[in-house]
Amino acid sequence: MSGLLEVSNVVAGYGDGPAILDGANLSVQPGKVHCIIGPNGAGKSTLLKTIVGMLKIRQGSVTFKGASLKGKRPDQILRRGICFVPQERALFPKMTVRENLRMGGFSLADKSNLEKRIDEIEERFPILGERRDQHAGTMSGGQQQTLAMARTLILKPEIVMLDEPSLGLAPKIVKEVFSIMRLMADEGITILLVEQNAMMGLKHADWGVVLDLGRTLFEGPAAEVLTDPRIQELYLGGKKAA
Amino acid sequence: MAEVIQILILGMALGGVYALMGSGLSLVFGVMRIVNLAHPVLIMAGAYVAYWAARLYGIDPLLTLPIAAVILAATGVILYKLVFEREARSAKYSEMTVLLTFALAMVLEGALGTAFTNTQRVTSPDYATDAFFIGDIFIPKGQLYAGIVSLAIISALALFLKYSRFGYAIRATTQNREAAELLGVNVNLVGLVSFAIGIGLAGAAGSLVSFVFSFFPAKHWEWIAVLMSLVVLGGMGSIFGTVLASFILAVVAAFIGAYFGATWSTLTFFVALFVVLLVRPQGIFGEKPELA
Ligand SMILES: Nc1ncnc2c1ncn2[C@@H]1O[C@H](COP(=O)(O)OP(=O)(O)OP(=O)(O)O)[C@@H](O)[C@H]1O
Ligand SMILES: [Mg+2]
Repeated sequence: MSGLLEVSNVVAGYGDGPAILDGANLSVQPGKVHCIIGPNGAGKSTLLKTIVGMLKIRQGSVTFKGASLKGKRPDQILRRGICFVPQERALFPKMTVRENLRMGGFSLADKSNLEKRIDEIEERFPILGERRDQHAGTMSGGQQQTLAMARTLILKPEIVMLDEPSLGLAPKIVKEVFSIMRLMADEGITILLVEQNAMMGLKHADWGVVLDLGRTLFEGPAAEVLTDPRIQELYLGGKKAA
Repeated sequence: MAEVIQILILGMALGGVYALMGSGLSLVFGVMRIVNLAHPVLIMAGAYVAYWAARLYGIDPLLTLPIAAVILAATGVILYKLVFEREARSAKYSEMTVLLTFALAMVLEGALGTAFTNTQRVTSPDYATDAFFIGDIFIPKGQLYAGIVSLAIISALALFLKYSRFGYAIRATTQNREAAELLGVNVNLVGLVSFAIGIGLAGAAGSLVSFVFSFFPAKHWEWIAVLMSLVVLGGMGSIFGTVLASFILAVVAAFIGAYFGATWSTLTFFVALFVVLLVRPQGIFGEKPELA
């Protein structure tokens, strides 16, 4: 089966350091929400960084719509329609909300519609309109996450990858964040979500992928992964109660 | 009262010059995390460009300013390619650059000393020794012009950073290099261009300095203390902070100089550097952004 995005047997790491990913596999189906789970340091963030070209693929392959992404720069991968919202630090804290949104369109060759696109996004997310002249770093965590996610919409991406969007947020805010994600998925955007909180992540996903020690352990429909005994083992005690 | 206004004006004029001397340093630190201890000696090089242009060809240092800026910016490109580019991704990068730029400062000082000797120099266009009088108050034309030109350049820089596409890229890279790269900014190019602009600003500052202070190669060590206190007080990397710190410290130094003597005036900057590092190491504008 060949998906929209295919990661096969990828080996990658930081600089000349040891391989952090060592046999990562992933098959992304269009329009679905995929959740990558795994314990601390499993390599979830590293996998996303490798897909967007921030880390070199040492072995294996990553293909998007059948074309290899190997050796491509982050800006080239972005232009093909893959957006990445990194863990925690996604924004420019001393730029205003509006300027942050403009940065979202930085890679656009044709900027004639940019301001209009930003207006539309401010209409959809009124909080961003209200705070357009405020520095992004002075907003609450939930508002910042909203901005980071909304900013990807400027480019009308095909795949949006979210690295722990719920991190450090209150449960009520987490709900909002996931509902924005659902909204994006309903528009046909394919989502690749990384969550440390396996329960919560899988509940909001269609497909689950379990990563440990840089290797894909197994994947399957989210509901099945959720109840798989191997998960209980992996998260012994801690996370599954959440 | 007249005396207070007099001191204030002199302090402000010097503050303008310091602001330009410090803003290039601040820009380079902000984007590249390079603590450029060679910045003052590069200002010195700019001053020599102005000096020789005036002495050999009789060109006014204000007219030499763009030439000095371009020559130094080109020097910046070469230095960046030779020295800094390779280091840019290393983890110990910031610490490394302190040692690297320290060595660079020594080498450049030696080169300037060999080429131009350690004689005190100053360019003396007519306005450098002239002044406006308003009642009892005098405003030295040289310092006034230098201050005005300096503020004009900084304003142009601020507009460029605020409104141009490349300015967005520079600010974004300063605030969050990884996110900038993810949005399609070529952060290596931004690093190179910012470094060139920063060193170009040193060249521009040098031609102003050439008629405001007398100079000789080894004097850059004196300027380091002044510039470090400006960028630290301003919050490392914040150009606006550096400008504000320049005015505050220059005015304070002017008052201390007037009432307690010139030795104490210089000490203002050392004391400020020390106190800021102890009390508020992030400077005036270096507040920690809330990202949680
Ligand atoms: N910039 C880096 N340089 C070197 N090693 C890194 C870097 N970032 C992460 N690592 C290492 O890579 C491994 C995997 O880290 P990664 O951030 O991908 O884990 P993760 O699954 O996202 O964990 P978390 O749930 O804590 O976010 C860890 O051992 C970590 O120490
Ligand atoms: Mg992570």
